[in-house]
Amino acid sequence: MTGLVYKEWKQNRWFILSMILCGSAPLIVLLIMHDEIKDIGDTPIRIGGLIAGFLAAGALQMLVLRGDDRKLWGYWITATPDGYKGFLRVKYEMIFGMIVLLMFSVQFVDMGYCAVAADMGKADAVQISGIALPLCFVQILLRAIDIPFVYRFGSKKGSFIKMICLVTVAIILLAFLILNAERFDMIIESCKKVINVQNSSLLLSVGLAVCLALYYLSYRITCKLYLKGVEQYDH
Amino acid sequence: MTTKKENAKRLGIYLLTVFAFMLIFVLCIKPMNASNTVFYIIYMIFSFSPAITSLITRAVTKEGFRDMKLHLRLSGNFKWYLLAFGLPLICFSAKFLLPVIISGHADWLGAFTAQNVLTSVFTLAAMSAVMSIGLIGEELGWRGYMNQKMEPLLGTVGTCIVGGIVWGLWHLPMDIAGCGGAMSDVFAMCGGRKIQLTLFGVFLMWLTKKTDSVFPAVIGHYMFNESQGALANLLYQGSIPENADLGVIADVFEYLPMILLAAVFMIMLFHDNSRTPKTA
Repeated sequence: MTGLVYKEWKQNRWFILSMILCGSAPLIVLLIMHDEIKDIGDTPIRIGGLIAGFLAAGALQMLVLRGDDRKLWGYWITATPDGYKGFLRVKYEMIFGMIVLLMFSVQFVDMGYCAVAADMGKADAVQISGIALPLCFVQILLRAIDIPFVYRFGSKKGSFIKMICLVTVAIILLAFLILNAERFDMIIESCKKVINVQNSSLLLSVGLAVCLALYYLSYRITCKLYLKGVEQYDH
Repeated sequence: MTTKKENAKRLGIYLLTVFAFMLIFVLCIKPMNASNTVFYIIYMIFSFSPAITSLITRAVTKEGFRDMKLHLRLSGNFKWYLLAFGLPLICFSAKFLLPVIISGHADWLGAFTAQNVLTSVFTLAAMSAVMSIGLIGEELGWRGYMNQKMEPLLGTVGTCIVGGIVWGLWHLPMDIAGCGGAMSDVFAMCGGRKIQLTLFGVFLMWLTKKTDSVFPAVIGHYMFNESQGALANLLYQGSIPENADLGVIADVFEYLPMILLAAVFMIMLFHDNSRTPKTA
């Protein structure tokens, strides 16, 4: 297992370390746009930077999957003592670690900024890492969806098929809403009944835990699909 | 094979360096109080000082960076991760809730509805997975290095006691900075926490040895910090009278769950040690 961790580190260390930079995005954007602070205020700029940082981090997390969709590598790793399951486990752990590192650096930079701002007499500087937490779980969920597609169909074809699947789901949802247009108010009402002020925090916390469970489920699904995927890789 | 002398040297360097960080923290309290930025920088460096020190010691003694227990080792150990999550929560629930229930004031626990409790548990579960990583700054040093060096020298009980005391004492500057008062006030306010840390260290030591990874200890440590806050938050939402005093029973339950936890895991450490084949 140490060998696989070493391989991932040697191959992807810059992508892993770039999470620190993505976590610093709110500060970087603030420094770039410091002339706009008076007009917009620093919090909206930092939130913009935070979202940009998360989007960049998401793209970088997908880049660590590049190069693994090769037949020879797939057969070779399957024949090692750790097997393809060990390889996939390290990949999943690494991507989860990247998300955790991103979250940690967001918090680190955010708290640092608030400390500096307090010394500069900016009483209105508020922490934005509270927004980062749900974004972090959204990222876990997105990676849980992305990774099985990449290993089943290869990175290029996988992204394309994932897009088709998502568009299909969106069309089905849209068709469902259009077909039930007359009962739209009723659907909204029943949604409001399920999600209300009393149980919104419970649903949110369950949602966060479900994201983690889905990430694990995604690993199990990828393990099931990996060998089928290897058979279909182009080279 | 590492000799006892080498171990003692490494441990000595580690402890001296970590206490040097403590000294720096104490000496910087004045500028820290004057500036939020200085406070933040020094506090962060200090929080990571056990891990930084373990790396420094490994480099200085040319020991190398093997056996840092940085593998997750999830397979086969997931149950211990769950234990790391659940046991602090159970212990602190016993500490906070049992005195209230036994003394016949269960009506104070109005906020402990199934919905609120589930919300707290799921939130803690999710947060412990993504927010606990900062505590590696401590665990990499205490459980990942100090205990390993201390156990051959002082034995399991000695490591639990001395290691726990060192760990508790290391928190002292943070408490001084937090309380902002005299040393006697700090001990009066945080003395109980130090005892609890010492006791809880036994569980964390057992977890690290059982899983050969510091990550379960990181989760356990996070839960030690956060579950108290979550439970206190629910307690304050209830209808507790302002002058509420549960007397001796609250004092007993302040320490009883942690004492039991420490005793159970000390026995388990002995049990595991007796099953480990001795090498010459």
